[in-house]
Amino acid sequence: MNRRKFFRNSAVSAAGMLSAGIPGLTGCLDSAPPAGPFSSSGNIMKEVMKYRKINTHEHVRPDISPGALIEVSDRLGIEKLVISSIVTEYSGKSATPQEFRDCNDLVLKAMKQYPDRFLGQAFLNPVYGKESLEEIKRCMDQGMTGLKVYNQVKINDPLFYPVIEKLIDLKMIILVHAFCGLGMGGHRPKYGNTEPNTSIPEDFAGVAKRYPEGMFQYAHLHGGGDWEYTCRILQDYPNVYADLSGSNNEADAVDFAVRYLGEDRLFFGTDGSHFQGVGTILSSRLSDAQKEKIFFCNYNDVLKRSGNHVN
Amino acid sequence: MLIDINASTGHWPFQQMQNSSCNEILARMDRYGVDLSVVSNLNGIFYKNVQAANEELHEELMSDRRFKDRFFPFAIINPQYAGWRQDLDICVNKMGVRGIRLYPVYHDYELSDPSCIDLVKIARDMGLIVGFTFRMFDPRGPRHWMDTTIQWNLGDMIPVIQEVPDATYFFLNVVGNIFVLNESERALLKKTTVLIDTSGASLGNMGNAIATYGAGKFAFGTHTPILDYLTGLLRIESLRENEGGEAARDQLRSGNARKILGI
Repeated sequence: MNRRKFFRNSAVSAAGMLSAGIPGLTGCLDSAPPAGPFSSSGNIMKEVMKYRKINTHEHVRPDISPGALIEVSDRLGIEKLVISSIVTEYSGKSATPQEFRDCNDLVLKAMKQYPDRFLGQAFLNPVYGKESLEEIKRCMDQGMTGLKVYNQVKINDPLFYPVIEKLIDLKMIILVHAFCGLGMGGHRPKYGNTEPNTSIPEDFAGVAKRYPEGMFQYAHLHGGGDWEYTCRILQDYPNVYADLSGSNNEADAVDFAVRYLGEDRLFFGTDGSHFQGVGTILSSRLSDAQKEKIFFCNYNDVLKRSGNHVN
Repeated sequence: MLIDINASTGHWPFQQMQNSSCNEILARMDRYGVDLSVVSNLNGIFYKNVQAANEELHEELMSDRRFKDRFFPFAIINPQYAGWRQDLDICVNKMGVRGIRLYPVYHDYELSDPSCIDLVKIARDMGLIVGFTFRMFDPRGPRHWMDTTIQWNLGDMIPVIQEVPDATYFFLNVVGNIFVLNESERALLKKTTVLIDTSGASLGNMGNAIATYGAGKFAFGTHTPILDYLTGLLRIESLRENEGGEAARDQLRSGNARKILGI
């Protein structure tokens, strides 16, 4: 583990937070948006295409062709897609080694089909420790650039520790399924998550503190429940990033996230909601430079650490 | 020309909203090239005496001469509350509303309630558009524990249409599977004068939606200030030529809305 590099990266993140202003106080987000170039509706697509984009959260499944993902990505000027294939709670499967290998084979196949567009992420189940580490090696040897994990085990469970340490060695990020079902449990602010092993913001805080060298991506801020609460919990953990994917494209979430997490810790993503992913960032009150960071630069900086960045 | 058929002013009691005054919405409209917005007041969802919200909106619209030509006010009416017929009359004849929005879930009555059907029929007779919003917030999102988890899909609207097939409808922030309707229900929807706004999460594949229901059934909408301002527009502007192209885009930008609003 390269602690010198970790602290250098942490300093960069802290600088980003400062540049975004002190949470809750005035900053760039409080100013009115500049007069835009949208004199007519047709110009909106020029604005969309203006930004290079890495979609940091997308999936391939047996019933969704990689070509369909490329087609909708082309409409929105999305250059690269970080893809994974997962075993969900709805599938009736338990993410055995054979099942997670099958998922990863699907990703590898898509990567071969569109080598210039897809960046692969490996999926595993840390209940199977030895097999998981073997699968990381198998997948990374074939060009995958990160890890995606779902709700088989919470991210702060000790079962995950060897996996996290391996990803730290590889200087790669872990995208973690997350949900903050606050307010769903009854008539007071308590968690109502229906999936007991889904990681909640406090789980990210715990593991980020244990592994400050690790890089963790909180999945789908726009589809992961209470984004205000999530940002308030994660604000003090500079090695936790969040992607802005999800179908719940609330108007103020991006500006709020920048206020609390800073402009360097947010990634563009879709997770199946392509128009929302672009629309929320584009219609935020952020500057062009901030949008560039979220659409492309922030994740490319993460990829750069393992030498997998996009030129 | 661009017309947003789904905008609101006012407050949401469980979450701060940016861009929720006429002035702020107008700034968004100017920035993104939106000429006109159909607007109602969110407060009417929560006031027991809904008319106070309609009065607030009217006063705000009268406060600045710029608003007159840029906003189409819709009233919120609760057919369970005393004096709603009088409220409707005032809203139409003194405030100039062009339509109404109903919130059965928040006002605690069923879509099939006779008072709801009566109101839709009266609106039809008065030449008013009737707006139903399928959900205000995603129940999986930052929902307050006092808020509702109920949301509709297109199938829930069929009994209302069957009761009043000749009314004019706006279906707003449409969620759920829009292809859920059976053949006869689809045929009924196609015959109905209805616009589905493009803000809803169901419209991930706008081309398929147009192929199924026709470009005449959709119109640009934002669901502002709750949802982001541009997703509904991206769904229109990214349509390919084989999905209707510029002709369909024009219908969705404003053509369909102009026809129904009588502009």
